[in-house]
Amino acid sequence: MSMAEPQSRFFRPDRALLIQAAAALATLALVLGPLVPVLWQSLLDRPLYEAAPLFSLDNYIRLFGNPRFHEALGNSVLLALLSTLIATVLGVSFALFLERTDMPGRGLLRNLTLWPMYVSQLVLAFAWFILYGPSGYITLAVERLAGVPLWDMYTILGMGLLAGTSQAPVVYLFCSSSARMADATLEDAARSVGAGPLRALWSVSLPLMRPSIIYAALLTFIGSLEMLAVPLVFGKPVGLEFFTTFLYMEGLGAITPDYGLIGAAATLLLVVISVLLVIQGLLLRQSKRFVTVRGKAQRPKLAPIGRVGWVVCALMCLYTALVLLLPLAGIVLRSVTSFLTPLMSPFDLLTLDHFEVLFGYEAYRRSIVNSVIIASFGGALATLFVALVALVAHRSDFRFRRALEFVALYPRAMPGIIAGIGMFWAMLLLPFAHVLQGTIWLLMLAFTMRGIPMAFGALSPTLHQIGRELDQGARSAGADWWTTVRLIIFPLMKPALFSAYVLLFLSFLKEYAAAVFLFAPGAEIIGTTMLTFWTNGSTGPVAALSVIQLAITALFVTLARRSLRTNKDV
Amino acid sequence: MSEVVVDRLNKHYGPVQALHEVSLHVPDGEFLTLLGPSGCGKSTTLFAIAGLDSPSGGRITVGGRDFYNGATGLDLPPEKRNLGLVFQSYALWPHMNVRQNLAFPLRLRKVGKKEQEARIEEALALVEMGAFIDRYPHELSGGQQQRVALARTLVFRPSLLLLDEPLSNLDAKLRIKARSWLKQLQRQLGLTTLYVTHDQSEALALSDRIVVMEKGRVSQLGTPEEIYRRPANAFVADFVGASNFLPGEVVDRNAAAGTAKVKLAGGDILTALWPDISAPPADSLLTVRPEHIGLSAEPPLPGPDINILAGRILERAYLGARLLYTLDCGHGLVLMAETETRVEGDHAWLRFSVDDTLLVRA
Repeated sequence: MSMAEPQSRFFRPDRALLIQAAAALATLALVLGPLVPVLWQSLLDRPLYEAAPLFSLDNYIRLFGNPRFHEALGNSVLLALLSTLIATVLGVSFALFLERTDMPGRGLLRNLTLWPMYVSQLVLAFAWFILYGPSGYITLAVERLAGVPLWDMYTILGMGLLAGTSQAPVVYLFCSSSARMADATLEDAARSVGAGPLRALWSVSLPLMRPSIIYAALLTFIGSLEMLAVPLVFGKPVGLEFFTTFLYMEGLGAITPDYGLIGAAATLLLVVISVLLVIQGLLLRQSKRFVTVRGKAQRPKLAPIGRVGWVVCALMCLYTALVLLLPLAGIVLRSVTSFLTPLMSPFDLLTLDHFEVLFGYEAYRRSIVNSVIIASFGGALATLFVALVALVAHRSDFRFRRALEFVALYPRAMPGIIAGIGMFWAMLLLPFAHVLQGTIWLLMLAFTMRGIPMAFGALSPTLHQIGRELDQGARSAGADWWTTVRLIIFPLMKPALFSAYVLLFLSFLKEYAAAVFLFAPGAEIIGTTMLTFWTNGSTGPVAALSVIQLAITALFVTLARRSLRTNKDV
Repeated sequence: MSEVVVDRLNKHYGPVQALHEVSLHVPDGEFLTLLGPSGCGKSTTLFAIAGLDSPSGGRITVGGRDFYNGATGLDLPPEKRNLGLVFQSYALWPHMNVRQNLAFPLRLRKVGKKEQEARIEEALALVEMGAFIDRYPHELSGGQQQRVALARTLVFRPSLLLLDEPLSNLDAKLRIKARSWLKQLQRQLGLTTLYVTHDQSEALALSDRIVVMEKGRVSQLGTPEEIYRRPANAFVADFVGASNFLPGEVVDRNAAAGTAKVKLAGGDILTALWPDISAPPADSLLTVRPEHIGLSAEPPLPGPDINILAGRILERAYLGARLLYTLDCGHGLVLMAETETRVEGDHAWLRFSVDDTLLVRA
C-alpha cells in the first residue's frame, strides 16, 4: 500500500555533499586566495613570482627598522584612537538622546544620523576637502572674516574629525538597539531616589550600554585602522603617512615596489586586526550576561527632558548640516562649477564641463557602467553565493560547517587594500589566473570576498528564526537536502536575501580600496577613476563622479525601500 | 507490511546518554504510544526512526528493511524512508497554501498532475478539511493546521505514521475531540502508528500498546490496561495515573496465589499482589491508586481480600463528582483517596481490595 519513494535514490545524498563541499571550497579559495600570497611574500627574500626564493625574517627586520613605517604606525594608532573617541562620544549620545528621551524630531534625526553610512568615505573625504580643506569654500570664507585660517584639515585632528563623524552612525546603530531594549524601570528607580532625567541617563542607562559601547568602539577602531580614503586625501599632500597609505605608496608609488616590505607590513596589519577581532568576539560573548530584558521587550518609557530636548535637537540639526548636508551640497555645487570660491558667486561659474568630460571619454563612461554592473549583477551573485554558504553553515549536516562559518567571517580582518594586494599577487602565482586579470570579474571576486561577512551576518538571524521542523518536515516528506533548501528554506528567507542584496549593492558601489591594485584599462570603477582624477588634481570631474555615485545610491535606496514596503507578503 | 523493529538503540550527546538499549517491536497496523516525561528519550526514539536524529548504535528495521544499522554504519536519509511525520508545531510551510503543502511530497514522487489533485482531495476529505484547500497556514486555526499536517503525511501513503505530540498545542476540549477522531482514522487506514506524548490519558485512550520510557530506557511495554493495572515499577505507577506508595517489609509470600504480606512501619500488615515473584523483596513498595481506596466512618468488615487502615483526615478537596481526601495514617504515611463517599469528622477507615494493589520495585 505504500507508494514509491522519491526518484533517483542513489544519486541524491552525493548531490547534497557535492554542493556543500563546493560551497565550502569556493569560500576557502576566496578567503585564502588573497591571504596566503601576503603571508607567503612576507617571508620571502624576493618578489613572490621569482624563482628559487629563500625564506627569511629579513622583511620584518627591515620593516621595523624603517623610520617611515614607525611614523606611519604611530600616526595610524593616533588617528584610530582619535576617531574612535569622536565616533563613540557622538554615536552614544545620539543613541541616548534619540532612543531614551522625548527630544523633538527623533524620527527625522534617526534617519539623518544613518545617512553617512550610505555615502562612500572617499566621496565624503572629497566633499569635506571642497568645503573645509586648506582652500575650501568655508575655510576661505571664515578666513576672510577672521583674518587667519581657523583650522587645518591636513592634521591628525582634522582627519580624526572626519573619520570620527563618518563612523558615528555605526556606533549609533550598535548602541541604539541596546538603548531601545533597556528596561525603563531601572531609570524610573533612579528617578524615584532623586535623580533628574539627565542624571538617570548618565548614571543608569549609559553604564547599561557598556558592552555595546565597547563593542562598537572596537569596530570603529578597526575601521579607522584600515581606512584609506581619509589619510589619502588629507595626509598624503603634507607627507603624513599611515599604515594604509604606506602600503598604497609602496605598492603603487614606487617604480620597483618592495614586495617583501609590503608583505610584512600587510601581515602585521592583518595580525593586529585579527587580534582586535578576537578580543571583540570575547567581549561579545561576555556581553550576553549584561542582558537586562528577556522575552518580550516592553515598550520603553522615554525620559522627559523638556527644553533641553530642543537644544539637543538644534545641535544635532546643526551637526548633520555641517558634517553631511553642507559637504554634499558643496560637492554637488562643485560638480557644476568651473571652480568654487567665496570670492565669486557660483552662479557666474556654472558649467557642465565636468559631466561632459565623464561622458565624453570611453574609459570614464565605462567606469560608471562597470560600477553599476558590479553592484547590481555582482551583488546579486554574491548574495546567492553567501546564501548558499550560510545554508551550508546553518542548515546542513556538513562535517566542516563550523569551520566554514569561521572562514566565511574571516574577511572582516582583511582591509580592502590588503585584499587588493593579495588578489593581485594571487594572480601572479596561480596558473590560468590571467584570464581574470584586468576584468571586472576579478573585482567582483575581491568585493565578494570582502562582502561575505556582512551578507552572512544579514542572513544568519533569519536562518535561525526559520524553525528546523520545516526542513525536517520536507525531508521526511521525501525531499533531499538540496530540494529542501531550494523549495522550502530559500523562499522563506526572501526578505533577508533582499536586505543582504541591498547591503552588498551599496558596499560594492562604494568600494575602492580593494580595487586600486586590481583595476586595469577596461575594468575601471567609479572609485578608481575618482582617485585617478584626484591624483591629477582635477577636482571637478571627481565631484561630478561623486554626484553620479550619490545619485545611483539615492535611486537604489529609494527603490529598495519602496519594494520592501510592498514586498511584505511572506 | 510495515512492522517496526527497534533493536538496542543507543544515543549519546557527548557524555550524556539519551537512549539506553531501547528495543521495541511494533506489529503491522498497531498504534503504539511512547509515553514519558520530557527528556525521557521518546522524541529521540521517534526522530531516530524518522532519520532526523542519528543514533549512536543499535538497529532500526521497518517492514523488513534496514533503516539504521550501527554495526554496518547504514543510516538511510529521512527522504528515503517514506514515513509520515507530524510535528508538534505542525511544520506547515508558511509560503505554501494547503494545496501546495500537500502537493509537495507528491511532486517529489513524480505523481502526475491529475493523480495529485485526486490524492489531495482524498487526503483532505479524510481529515474533513476539503473546504480549506486554498488557505495559507496562518489563515487556519490550530486544530485545522493539525489536520492539514496529518493530511500532508497521509497524502503520500507512508508506510508508517509518526506523530510527535500532535495534540499538545490544542486546547483541552479540542484535544479530546481530536483524540477520538485520530483513533478512528488510524483504525480506518490500518496504518502502523508511533505516537509520542507525555499525556497519560491520551496514551491510555488511543493506544493498542504503550511504551513507558524513563531516562532513556524502556520502563514498561504493555497494553493500556496492563500499564495501568500492573505497573512494572514505582515510576510507571506514578506516571500513569496517580498512585499511593506504602513502604514496607515483605514478611511472608504466597507464591501460589502470587501475593505477599507486607509489614508497614506502623505495624499494620497488608496483603499485596506480587506477580513478579523473582524480584527482590528489598525496598519494595505497595502501590494502590487513590480511586481504589474506599472510605467509611465505621470500621469495615474484614475479609481475606481486603486491606484496612485507619487514618486522620488532613484535607478534603472537592473535585465535582468526587472528593479527594488526604489522610495521615501515622508514622509519616500520608495517603490520597478519591471517592464519592462523604465522610464527616476527623477520622476515617480506609479499605482497598488486594486486587487493586501491587508490589513494585522502588
